[in-house]
Amino acid sequence: MSERIVFHIDVNSAYLSWEAVYRLQHGSPIDLRDVPSIVGGDQEKRHGIVLAKSIPAKKFGIITGETVHSAFEKCPELVMVPPCYPRYIRASDSMVELLGKYSPFIQRYSIDEVFLEYIDTERPFMEVATEMGRRIREELGFTVNIGIGPNKLLAKMASDFSKPDKIHTLFKEDIPEKLWPLPVEELFMVGSRTKKKLNGRGIFTIRQLAELDRDYIHSWLKKPGLLIWEYANGMESSPVRSGAVPLKSVGNSTTMPFDVETREEAHKVLLAISEMIGLRVRDLDMCGSVVSVSLKNHLFYHSSHQRKLNIPTDSTNAIYRVARSLFDEMWQGEPMRNFSISLSHLESNEFFQLSLLGSQNKKEQQLDDVIDRIRLKYGQRSIYRSCFLYSGIDPVIGGVIMEESYPMMSSYL
Amino acid sequence: MKVLMKRVEMIAWFNDKDYPVPLRFRLDSEDKVRTVIRIGRIFSHEEEKLGGNRAVVYRCEGIIGEQQRPFELKYEIATCRWFLFKM
Repeated sequence: MSERIVFHIDVNSAYLSWEAVYRLQHGSPIDLRDVPSIVGGDQEKRHGIVLAKSIPAKKFGIITGETVHSAFEKCPELVMVPPCYPRYIRASDSMVELLGKYSPFIQRYSIDEVFLEYIDTERPFMEVATEMGRRIREELGFTVNIGIGPNKLLAKMASDFSKPDKIHTLFKEDIPEKLWPLPVEELFMVGSRTKKKLNGRGIFTIRQLAELDRDYIHSWLKKPGLLIWEYANGMESSPVRSGAVPLKSVGNSTTMPFDVETREEAHKVLLAISEMIGLRVRDLDMCGSVVSVSLKNHLFYHSSHQRKLNIPTDSTNAIYRVARSLFDEMWQGEPMRNFSISLSHLESNEFFQLSLLGSQNKKEQQLDDVIDRIRLKYGQRSIYRSCFLYSGIDPVIGGVIMEESYPMMSSYL
Repeated sequence: MKVLMKRVEMIAWFNDKDYPVPLRFRLDSEDKVRTVIRIGRIFSHEEEKLGGNRAVVYRCEGIIGEQQRPFELKYEIATCRWFLFKM
């Protein structure tokens, strides 16, 4: 049997299950998974959104991503718990550790998903998958879905079939029966925009996409079209990557709880975001040379500009100056709600090129270094720029976890 | 036994075993009375790893009030906290 066997392990309602387990371990009389419940974002600072939901909550029509407010309208007796990321990382680590015993080829795809290359020739894969599911349930207290296929794409599609606590297979011969009847938007990499385009030409199921002529889809949707066509036909061959994926960009964004109407305020928000980006990129010992700013106005219309720098930078001030200039170019004077800055084309800090502005860079580097160290020792709020005093704007915006830098949520396998 | 999960102050013995041995603990009741309970016997200990949060659960018995009563203690390794889990 020369066919590969790949597992995709996906935690059922991760944030919610992990919170439920923690509470049970600490003596809670109820299991969150048995009642309508959600993990909701901070409702005080801004409009929180649903980060995770229990299966009973799903029955009320509650979906991940909707506002907490609308979730409570659908179900007034909903139990809401706040997110606690260190707890999730610990739970995720414990699962990866357990699975790591089954194969050296393990890829942590996100906080709650793992790919594993199954290489044991002695034991039947189904038996091992069953054992994995049982052990995670009994030892760690939460359930997973396991998808099994000859490549990562099919394994990942399989794990998404009925839940929870199930094992599904999707091999080449199963494609017509299990994959093709599904609506095309269920296919990995097909989002709402692609769905619209496909639907517009009468393609509603994965089968219809798969049966298109290869050259036709290539000339219509180019490389991305070819990719989804291959996926529809179960063609995908990337290896299960155990090492870390090199980080390509660092970005942060925020949706403000109020409309930002003045240039001054907008500049402050950009500075606060730049603070977080600078912090993160310096922590990674990297620097970047492309700064990109994305905005959404009060009607949530989106625009973005970017600029390539001559010299890569890791300095908060440098990032801010470029972001501010890009914003000034874009802004038409309308009220703004969402600000996003991204620093990309990242490279290692080691070979830092000097420029004619040598001494200026050095001073900013020293300043950043001192501020980072003060914040590390005394807390993030211990030192901040005076323009934020009484401004109503957080001096450092964005970012969730400072302790780890997992390359989570990739869009590619 | 009822689940209490009450935080307690504990004196424990770290010896050559792989787990700390609880000796006696102090418990606050609602009326601010602090009782010291000596652990008479440890029947068993078991490590749990729920959600990756390691804890050791001890099934013990000790004299509380006038009676010999069974109870369970839980030691949360990450936080070094002791709890009276069930009694």
